[in-house]
Amino acid sequence: MPKKINLDIAEVENREQRLGTIIAWSGTASELHKQSNFEARGCGGGPGKGGCQLCELEGPFTQGSVCSEQMVECQAGHVRDAVLIQHAPIGCGAGQVPYNSIYRNGLAMRGHPVENIHCITTNLLENDLVFGASDKLRQSIDDAVARYQPKAVFLSSSCATGIIGEDMESVAKEKEEQYSIPVIPLACEGFRSKHWSTGFDAVQHGILRQIVKRNPQKQEDLINVINLWGSDVFTPMLANLNLRVNYVIDLASVDDLAQLSSAAATVGFCYTLSSYMAAALEQHFGVPEIKAPMPYGFVGTDAWLREIGKVTHREALAEKYIASEHARVAPRIAELKEKLKGIKGYVATGSAYSHALIQVLRELGVQVDGSLVFHHDPVYDSGDVREDSLGHLTKNYGDVKHFQVSNRQQYQLYGFLQQVKPDFLLIRHNGLAPLASRLGIPAAPLGDEHIAIGYQGIINLGESILDILAHKKFHDDIKNMSSCLIKMVVGPKDPISWRGIRN
Amino acid sequence: MHGPEFYNGFQGGGYAGGAVAPSTNLRENEVIFGGAERLDNLIKATLKMMEGDLFVVLNGCIGEIVGDDVASVVSKFQDQGVPIVYAETGGFKGNNFIGHEIVTEAIIDQYVDKYAVNKDKKIKGLINVWAELPFQNTFWRGDLQELKRILQGAGFRVNILFGNGSAGVEEWKTIPNAQFNLVVSPWLGLQTAIHLKKKYQQPYLHIPILPIGAGQSAEFLRQVVEFAGIDKQQSEEFIRHEDEQYYYYLESFTDFYAEYWWGLPASYAVVGDSAYNLALNKFLVNQLGLIPGKQIITDNVPEKYRAQIASEYEHLADDVRSDVAFIEDGYLVGKTLHSVDFGHKPPILFGTTWERDTAKELQGYIVEVGFPASYEVVLNKSYIGYRGALTLLEKIFTTAISKSA
Repeated sequence: MPKKINLDIAEVENREQRLGTIIAWSGTASELHKQSNFEARGCGGGPGKGGCQLCELEGPFTQGSVCSEQMVECQAGHVRDAVLIQHAPIGCGAGQVPYNSIYRNGLAMRGHPVENIHCITTNLLENDLVFGASDKLRQSIDDAVARYQPKAVFLSSSCATGIIGEDMESVAKEKEEQYSIPVIPLACEGFRSKHWSTGFDAVQHGILRQIVKRNPQKQEDLINVINLWGSDVFTPMLANLNLRVNYVIDLASVDDLAQLSSAAATVGFCYTLSSYMAAALEQHFGVPEIKAPMPYGFVGTDAWLREIGKVTHREALAEKYIASEHARVAPRIAELKEKLKGIKGYVATGSAYSHALIQVLRELGVQVDGSLVFHHDPVYDSGDVREDSLGHLTKNYGDVKHFQVSNRQQYQLYGFLQQVKPDFLLIRHNGLAPLASRLGIPAAPLGDEHIAIGYQGIINLGESILDILAHKKFHDDIKNMSSCLIKMVVGPKDPISWRGIRN
Repeated sequence: MHGPEFYNGFQGGGYAGGAVAPSTNLRENEVIFGGAERLDNLIKATLKMMEGDLFVVLNGCIGEIVGDDVASVVSKFQDQGVPIVYAETGGFKGNNFIGHEIVTEAIIDQYVDKYAVNKDKKIKGLINVWAELPFQNTFWRGDLQELKRILQGAGFRVNILFGNGSAGVEEWKTIPNAQFNLVVSPWLGLQTAIHLKKKYQQPYLHIPILPIGAGQSAEFLRQVVEFAGIDKQQSEEFIRHEDEQYYYYLESFTDFYAEYWWGLPASYAVVGDSAYNLALNKFLVNQLGLIPGKQIITDNVPEKYRAQIASEYEHLADDVRSDVAFIEDGYLVGKTLHSVDFGHKPPILFGTTWERDTAKELQGYIVEVGFPASYEVVLNKSYIGYRGALTLLEKIFTTAISKSA
């Protein structure tokens, strides 16, 4: 039995404890899969319970990355009729700049009215850290309610509040009673977890505890889609099965979040993001999580649609849709394969998302010898082996020779790219592509995370790669002219430079 | 953090900023047991991994609150001759503006003072310039270049200190040799100048207004030349030459400005840090004859400078003044702008991305000039001096007329 998600505790249990998440590893995809021992961990045999602990590399040199609090900004901060209050010094508020941009562009892409994010910082100063800042937090909640009349207020912690031991829970409780709306404290101190994906879980934990309806009227045609701000590709796709879509968390309304428990099933675009929420919805609210490979490439999409068909009793519709889509996309995919012949790709994204993208690339005939994933979860929360995305990749699409877990470390990517010399890069987070650029390698940034979903996604990704290959002229020019401050101790023979620079 | 400079003009992280910077990435363990050892290891590794003439260690919230002794970690490397300094920059110290001067002073005290040669020798005509806040100001690179260009044109040798117009640490090492410090901003850099006055007995000249356009630029240069007591011939020739260039373009611009059929906006508000706010106001009033609505200063100016700054708005021109408010809170900025009477036509808002919604609600125009400018792509664009003013005119009126059809 998988470990049951505990919604009684106020603070989410972090990923390294729940799943055994690691952020540094180097080897082949199949070796990582073997060491992860997905099946055994799913049965509760994880770390500390008789299962093996997945070994993790560690070295003295690390570069800045991302923290959980930023994930809270992008998720809780993107709920349309809620407000996020950052209980933090002003510096954490700098994150509002990128997430505002992403929110505005996301709203436009989905056809919602464009507006700024509703995000407030308590702007903690030295005095507040000495004497406590509960009153400042109270004031900010009052302001949030007066200004925006939100249907929920999220409160995010910070390194500073975590260390001084601010009691956000009792303030939240007090204000929740006063205003009769959910006021939700989220534990996301940067130092709490070594990987930022714990921030996703923190938001989901809070929503599950305080927003999701306890005894909902079931809606048998509603599917929860746990995603970010991507374009609406699920509605047209699932309409073929007479299903409606409930997108969460980014760009959702509080009512959308409340009705999560009324849906017929839950899916996601990436298990890294959906793992916690989907498993909890199943365990605590009886909403089944679709246990299948993610909907990428023919194999994954076929299996995913069939499982949805089965769970929602729409098998015949699923089969009909699968057949018509196969016929529709085949000619264009054949053309794309012809154009992409001999091209080598590299994927540098979050964990499960990378597994999915490599599948699509291989369906397009693109050679993929290497990938950098920001972290690795040896198992997902459901523990169900049908969600073993890395196993699905290696079983159906073959091994990946140079598979590295690296938490957005530029200096490591430098070595990895020397090793596999790809023609292009797929990325989803800022910070890595500029380095590739200096090496003459163009990157296709996938800001719209839905671009590669389903059958059309195979075509979309192929077209995007052709676009980006054309940029190569620009990157070649940069390569010839630019300097790199990372020293050559990171040579092609030993790209995991922590071996080369032991103190 | 990589995001802010990305979504602020897409400036890029530069040589060693953005996602490149080494970080201890502290975890629970270090919060409990301290992170000094981790820092020590990171510095050792960084020295092996990265090329740099100067390394700066910033202490963050965690290190400062748990009391990590960064000074003793770093001083060990300093004793070994490593060019490295440290600064206590925990987030609760205040905003970027505060942090900037903390870092600047740290570099002066721990690096410049140690490595500069002939510190007592002053060179007439050499000046240190303290002006805009790098990266926070979207246009800092181009602006500092233009500032250096016009000061050089007037006959100075200039330590511009930041950006690609600077010679890097070699330039910093000559800080003690400067004849004086020039602070070109309402308050940022003043602390540093006062510090240098004590440290190296250098006088300073404080000019609160960043020059935009021919009039302001000439006035600015004459003030600096006067203070320096250097020969006026070169600066006067330079001003004459620059005026010629500037007014050549302005004459042609007149055709547009005097008779654009479909109407142009007449009133405006500026929302932004005190330096750009004041500079833009001077230019918009004196060069274009626009009508000031309300001016909102957002950089949380220390209390002691506020009255002086506000008084500058009392005499933007002989016959023009404007209301100024100090507001940090973006929501209140929006509320305030809604309450302003901008006359019979929609205004131009010179502001930030946060003001986009307000500009739409007022059916006006938005020109993003401050942090964050998420809908601007900036390479070497400048809005100050002679050349920057022309760029600014292009930007303002392209924005205005592109909305007309």
